Amino acid sequence: MERIDPLPEALGPSLTAAGIAPDEVRVSVRSDLGANGTFGETWFVLTGDEVVVLEADGGVRSRLSHADIRSVRADAVVGGGVFSVHTKSDSLDLLRYSNVVAAKFAYVARWMSEEIEHHKGDRDEAPIWDYEEETKFCKQCGLALRDEFAPCPACTKKHMVMLRIFTYLGPYKRAAAVVVFFLLVTTVISLVPTYFNRIVIDDVLKINFVADKQVGPVSAFFRNIPSAGLALSICVGLLVLSHILTHVLDIFRGRLAAWLTFRIVADIRTELYEKLHHLSLRFFDKRKTGTVISHITEDSSRLQHFLLESVGFIIIDGMMLVGIGILLFWLNWRLALFVFIPVPAIVLGAGWFWKRVRSLWHRAYRRSSKLYDVVGDSINGIRVVRAFGRQAGEVDRFGEANEDVRDYMTYAEQVWATYYPILGFTVTLGSLIVWYVGGLQIIRGEMTLGTLMAFQGYLGMFYGPLRHISPIINWASRSMTAAERIFEVIDSDVEQDDDGTLVAAPELRGEVEFRNMTFGYDAHKPVLRDLTLHVQAGEMIGLVGHSGAGKSTLINLICRFYTPDSGVLEIDGVDITKMRLDDLRRQIGVVLQEPFLFSGTIAENIAYANPEAPIERVIAAAKAANAHEFIVQFPDGYDTQVGDRGGRLSGGERQRISISRAILHNPRILILDEATSSVDVQTEQKIQQAIDRLVENRTTFAIAHRLSTLRNANRLLVLDKGKAVECGSHEELMEQKGVYYKLVETQRKVSEIRSKQTAVEG
Amino acid sequence: MSDDAQDKAVVPAETDLPVEVGSEPDDFVPRYLDPKTVRLYRSPLGAARLDLLNEVCYSRVAVRQIMPLSDPEHYISLWVADDAEIGIIRDPLELDDDSRQVLSEELDVRYFTPVITKIYEVKERFGVHEWDVDTSRGRVTFSVRGLHQNVKQVPPARLIVTDVRENRYDIPDAGELDHASFQHIQRHL
Repeated sequence: MERIDPLPEALGPSLTAAGIAPDEVRVSVRSDLGANGTFGETWFVLTGDEVVVLEADGGVRSRLSHADIRSVRADAVVGGGVFSVHTKSDSLDLLRYSNVVAAKFAYVARWMSEEIEHHKGDRDEAPIWDYEEETKFCKQCGLALRDEFAPCPACTKKHMVMLRIFTYLGPYKRAAAVVVFFLLVTTVISLVPTYFNRIVIDDVLKINFVADKQVGPVSAFFRNIPSAGLALSICVGLLVLSHILTHVLDIFRGRLAAWLTFRIVADIRTELYEKLHHLSLRFFDKRKTGTVISHITEDSSRLQHFLLESVGFIIIDGMMLVGIGILLFWLNWRLALFVFIPVPAIVLGAGWFWKRVRSLWHRAYRRSSKLYDVVGDSINGIRVVRAFGRQAGEVDRFGEANEDVRDYMTYAEQVWATYYPILGFTVTLGSLIVWYVGGLQIIRGEMTLGTLMAFQGYLGMFYGPLRHISPIINWASRSMTAAERIFEVIDSDVEQDDDGTLVAAPELRGEVEFRNMTFGYDAHKPVLRDLTLHVQAGEMIGLVGHSGAGKSTLINLICRFYTPDSGVLEIDGVDITKMRLDDLRRQIGVVLQEPFLFSGTIAENIAYANPEAPIERVIAAAKAANAHEFIVQFPDGYDTQVGDRGGRLSGGERQRISISRAILHNPRILILDEATSSVDVQTEQKIQQAIDRLVENRTTFAIAHRLSTLRNANRLLVLDKGKAVECGSHEELMEQKGVYYKLVETQRKVSEIRSKQTAVEG
Repeated sequence: MSDDAQDKAVVPAETDLPVEVGSEPDDFVPRYLDPKTVRLYRSPLGAARLDLLNEVCYSRVAVRQIMPLSDPEHYISLWVADDAEIGIIRDPLELDDDSRQVLSEELDVRYFTPVITKIYEVKERFGVHEWDVDTSRGRVTFSVRGLHQNVKQVPPARLIVTDVRENRYDIPDAGELDHASFQHIQRHL
C-alpha cells in the first residue's frame, strides 16, 4: 500500500459505490485544485487495474483501465501542473494541481511510467516506491524555510545558540574558568570602595554623627582609632589598594579573555570553512557568493566582538545585580524596597526593546548584504557594463540599494536613539525616589548620611547594569543572529555522509553506465529524462545538442555534483551515490570552458591535484599540453604568480595550464566542457593537439560547440530536451539524417556563409 | 645562495615518464639533455653556441631558468634564439667548466637581478617606498609602489623586490643582512 495522502473517510462510500474496495487502493494523492481549477480538492486513486479521479463530493470525474494506459505524464505549467494519461490513440488530462503538490504528482507519474515499462517486460526490477516529502518546511512548526538545508529560525532558540557557542569553550575549559574566577573576584572587590565611603563619612569624618547606634565590627574598628587622621589614612589606603587590585585583575582578565575569544572564533571559522567545502553544490546554487563570503567574514567577526566585549559584561552585570541587591537590603531594607519600584518597568521595557531591535538589525543586515551583491555583480561584469554603456544604470542600481541601506540603517539607529534614553530615564527615576525617601529618613534620624551616600553609590552600580542591558541586548541580538547563520551553514547537509557502507574505488577502469536516469535541479522539472547509455572504459563520447538540452547537467551528474532523482548511474558497476566521493573525484579530471586558476604559481596550479608531484612531472604535463614553451618565456618561468597578475595570461594560456593540470592529475574519466570554445583558431589547434593526447586511454565525455572538434569521439550522444535521441558514430548519425545531421548541416551552412562573407570582404 | 634548492637537488623522474635523452624529437615530451653531450662555447664574436655531441650545432642559444625563484640553480632551458626549446639541463654543475662558465654568463645577462647587500634607507612617501641600497652591481636608489604586491617573499627568507620600472632586486636571505638593513625592511613589511 503506497499512499501519499490517505483517502478521507467521507469518500469511502463513493468508492464502494464505484465498485472499489478500500483495500484495493494502491496509491491515493490529493490535488489542491477542484473542477475548473478553483482551489478545492480532487483525488487521484490508483487501484490494481484502474485509475480513478474523484471529486471532493465523491463524484467520479473519470476512470480508466490500467491496461489502456501507455504513458503517464505530469507536465509542469506556470504555477502548477497537469497530470495526464495517454492511451494508444488519445490522451486525457486527469487533473490539475498547483505547485504546492506538484512534486507529489511528478513522483507518481515517474513511478507509474517505470511500472508500465516493467509490465511490458522491458525492465528487470519493479520500481521501488521511495517517495519522500520535500523538506522545504519546518517539520516541527510548518514554517517555510529559506531552502531545504536551512534550520528553522523559529525553532532555533536564542539561548540554545548561546549555549552552543559555549560548547566551543571545551578545549579551553581551564582558561575559561580562570576568566570567570577573575570576574567574580573583581566584582566583589569593586563593591568595597563604596562601602568605605560610608565608613569615611560616618565613622571617620563623623558627619551627622549618631553615637548611640548599634554598629558593625568594621565601623567599631574605625571609631576606636583615636586619631581621625590615622583612621582616614588607613581608610584611603585600603581604598587605593582595592582600586589597584581591581585594575590589575582586570588587565589579566582582559588579556586572557582576548586569548580565549580569538581561539573560539577561529575554531568556529575553521569548522565553517571546512564545512563549506563539503556542502552539496545545491547549497551554493541557491546562494550568492557574496552571501557565503559574508557568512565567513562578517558573521564570525561579529561573533568575535560579542564574545570579547559583551560576555564579560553579562557575567559581571549579572553578579553585580545579585550582589548589590543583597547589599542594599542589608544596608536599609525599607529604602531598598523603593529601589525596586522602577524595576518591572525597566525589565518589561528592555524586553520589548530586545525584540524590536533584533528584528531591525536583522533586516538592516539583509539590506547591506544585498548591497554587496550589487557591487559584486557589476564589478565582476564590468566589461559587460561598459560594453553596453550601462554605467549610469549600474550606478542607479547601486544607488537604490545604497539608499535602501541608508534609510533602513537610519531608521534602526533612530529607533535606538529614541528608546534608549527613555529607558535611561526610567532608570534614573529610582535614584530620585531614593534621594527623597532616604533624605526623609536622615531628617528623622533613622539613617546616617554615610549609609545614604553608600546607598546612592550602590544604586548607580545597580541600575548601571540594568541600563547596560540594553546595549548588550543590542550586541547580543546582532551576534546571535550572526551565530545562528553560521550554525545554519554548519548544520547543512554534507555532500556525502560516510556511514561505512560506501564503496572504495581506488582504481577505476572508467566504465560508465546510465540506466533510466532522470534528473532535474527541481525534482519535478526533469532536465534529463530516462537516459540509458553504456560507455566502455576508454571510450570517448561526444555530447551534442542545443543549449539547454542537458549536456552540462549530464556532466554535473558524472562528477556527482548532483545525484540522479531516479534511475541509476554506475561507474565500474558501482552506484555512484554509494562510491566514496574522494575516490571518485580523484579520478575525474575536468577541463572547463573558463578555466579557473588559483592564486599561486603556475607550477602550483598545474600540480593542484598532486601538490607533491616532482617538477619534472609538472614540466612533462605542461609540455604535453603545449604550455611549456610559453611558460618558460615568462620572466619567472614556472614560478610566475597567476593570482595577482592572472590577467596577464590569455584565455588560451589559461586553458593550456588547466589541461596540464588534467594531464598531471591523470584521471580515469575526463570531462571536457567546451574546452576549446573561447580561443582563437591557431590556439585551438594547439589545444586540440593537447587534448588529443589527453584523451588517450581515458573514458572521455566532451561537449563542444564546434562539432568538428568531436571528430575523435568513438560515439556521439545527441541530447534533445533532456532525452537521448540519437547515439552512434559520426558516419552512422549522418546516415540517419536526424537531429545530428541537421546540426551538422546548419553549422556547415553557417561556416559557408562566413567564408563567402570573408571572400567578399577580402 | 639557496641551500634549500640544493637540498632537494635533482629529483629523479618517476619511472612512467618518457625522458630518455636523445630520443626522437617529440613536441610533447620534454627533452632533458645529457650533460656529457652538451658543450657551450663562444663564437669568435662572442655569441653563445651549443654543440650537442654527434648531433647538431646551434650558432646562437638563449638560456632560461625554469624556476627562477624557487630553484634557480637547476633546470636551465636552452633555446634556439627565441624560437623553440632545444632541451633542459637538469643540473649545470654536471657540465664541463667552460660550458658552465658560458651558461652562467648568459644567465647573468638574461636575469639582471642585482643582489641587495646593504640597505641605507627605506622611506615611505604617499604610498611609494623609496629604497637606497648597495647592490652587487653598485649603489642604487629605486621606488616601489605597493610594497605588498611588489616584494615577493620566497620561503624561507628570500625577498624579490620589483621597482616601478620593473627592475628586480634580490635579497637572497633577509636574515643575513646586517641588523640596520634588516630593521629598514622590518619596519615596512
